[in-house]
Amino acid sequence: MEHLILGVGDVFGGTTLLWVAVGVSLGYVLGAIPGLGKAIGVAVSIPLTFYLEPVSALGMLIGIAKGSAAGSAVSAILLNTPGEPSSAPTAFDGYPLARQGKGQKALKMALFASVTGDFVSTIILILLAAPLARYALLIGPVELCAILVFSLVFIGGLSGNSLTKGLIAACFGIFFATVGLETETFVARLTFGYLELEDGISLVPMAIGMLAVAEMVVQAGNLNTLDRETANLRDSSDPRDRTVTQDELRRCAPVIARGTVIGTAVGILPGLGASVGSFLSYGETRRVSATPAKYGTGMIEGVAAAESADNAVVPSSLIPLFALGIPGSVIAAILIAAFILHGLTPGPLMFQQQPRMVAGLYVSMLCASAILLVIGLLGQRLFSQIVHVPLRLVIPGVLLFCCVGSFMETGSVFSIYIMLGFALLGFLARKLDFSFVTFLIGFVIGPKLELSFRQSLQLLNHDASNLLAHPIALLFLFAALVFVVLSGRATARRSGQTPPTTQENCNPKGGNQP
Amino acid sequence: MKRANAISGIFLCVFSIVMLGMVIPTQINAGPSGMMSPRLVPNMMMIGILLLSLPLVIRGLRKTPEYDAQDTASPISRAEMLALLRISGVFAASIALYELFGALVGASSLVILALLVLGERRPLVIVALTVVLLTGLWALFYKVLGTAIL
Repeated sequence: MEHLILGVGDVFGGTTLLWVAVGVSLGYVLGAIPGLGKAIGVAVSIPLTFYLEPVSALGMLIGIAKGSAAGSAVSAILLNTPGEPSSAPTAFDGYPLARQGKGQKALKMALFASVTGDFVSTIILILLAAPLARYALLIGPVELCAILVFSLVFIGGLSGNSLTKGLIAACFGIFFATVGLETETFVARLTFGYLELEDGISLVPMAIGMLAVAEMVVQAGNLNTLDRETANLRDSSDPRDRTVTQDELRRCAPVIARGTVIGTAVGILPGLGASVGSFLSYGETRRVSATPAKYGTGMIEGVAAAESADNAVVPSSLIPLFALGIPGSVIAAILIAAFILHGLTPGPLMFQQQPRMVAGLYVSMLCASAILLVIGLLGQRLFSQIVHVPLRLVIPGVLLFCCVGSFMETGSVFSIYIMLGFALLGFLARKLDFSFVTFLIGFVIGPKLELSFRQSLQLLNHDASNLLAHPIALLFLFAALVFVVLSGRATARRSGQTPPTTQENCNPKGGNQP
Repeated sequence: MKRANAISGIFLCVFSIVMLGMVIPTQINAGPSGMMSPRLVPNMMMIGILLLSLPLVIRGLRKTPEYDAQDTASPISRAEMLALLRISGVFAASIALYELFGALVGASSLVILALLVLGERRPLVIVALTVVLLTGLWALFYKVLGTAIL
């Protein structure tokens, strides 16, 4: 409690609130631009925070994530083009509403649902992370190695359409994490004589390349479709079509509550991601509705269901990161770089070593939810104009920011080469359906996995039968095996069926996988 | 997608064999005796990629009754491939100009060339956007954040 009070003082005493508001606004704008999701927003903005106070910097980045999760509804509703796949169910009913001239009503409902989902999920993060972290401290290297293997298999299987491709992406991520000086022997690995690689490949240019630059290339290839959708936008002249009525709020309250619970639960499980949450919530709301056939024609409940779950995933996906040090989503993986840059190592020990900073972070997260509501209400009409800006004017600015962000990491053009190399890899991963989410998470947890693997080999005396003395590790390895078998069966069943068309109603140009 | 899977699977098989047979042995020393080899994890990952690529190749090459045009279609459209080539060209030119003339020319050329390859032809818009972006960056880093980026 004492730390919480100090955290409140830190947030309200300095410029932190201002930076959180900047982050939320920036995130909202980035989210509204098709193709620029929260992960891209956070990756590109990390260099902007180098010179801020740690709590301000982390609050701003989390503000960007929260703002863009809410902002992605703007392009989904107005253009039928979700900024991210997780907003695709929002477009199912949001876009028909916009075509009826009720775009502002849908945007307002999306904002209310987003803020509620986000706020409740943040509270659950605060309540759950520290108690879970206490148990995590009891985990040894053998158990940690097994948990990391299980997480990667789980994420690899769920963040794409193929477990095989997910595992290949994870292996690549871990492989690239081995570049640089090996920590035990100090032998240089795969540096090809470049001194710049001896410290390893930096996450910031890699993430910027894989997420932002690669996505801009995909968007550049689809410019005409987006421009056509933008030209068709019109608003109704009836004021009732631009506001949310009491009756609509009453009808949507249970839908938002359900979406929040689903989104929070999905966020806690590593790898499921916001798309699973929003689709599950939308599907469940439609299933329990008395008029399921009306969904897809402009039901405001559909917007509320999808957005509440989508936004609830963001804070709860930080629970495995805070409690175990394991990033459960791509946003958490990128945030690790920012946390470490600002002196906070995510994991169970952070609650003991830097409780004041954690408290400040929690307070700024709660403030970000409130700021999101205020900024959304005040600036929604303005932000919704952003979708009218042609993408050909947006892409050059994003590319310039990407270069500056990568350059700032090391002050060398070499970082831009790294960014471009991984941009090509990210483009191919998107188009060939290899999960770049799993790649990035594999890269982030690679050093920890290698260290715990080496320690485990020594602890087990290079004898697999000694694993019997570690039942928790055995349990996780067995769970990973069961997951592989079940995924294999599901893939075999799917290969005999027509491919699923869950997004057939919309036009998702965002390439971020869950 | 089946054909693309088969091609990417074959590429990954060849890549991992080359890494295992040539690159890793030459780029990573065996390390001191009595300690675990620094090659251990990179080798394990490449073996993993090799083993996982094989089913991709096999499934991609196997013809099924419902094998149709969708299976042989390229997952990358012509427009996307053109965009990739154009933006790569923009980066190549901008980096060359940066090395020759410095950051201002490099950054300006990145914005101007990107606008041109994306179809913007209005001179006023091109000049105005370039000036706004560069001035905005300067103001953000040098005035708001109070730091030099060069």
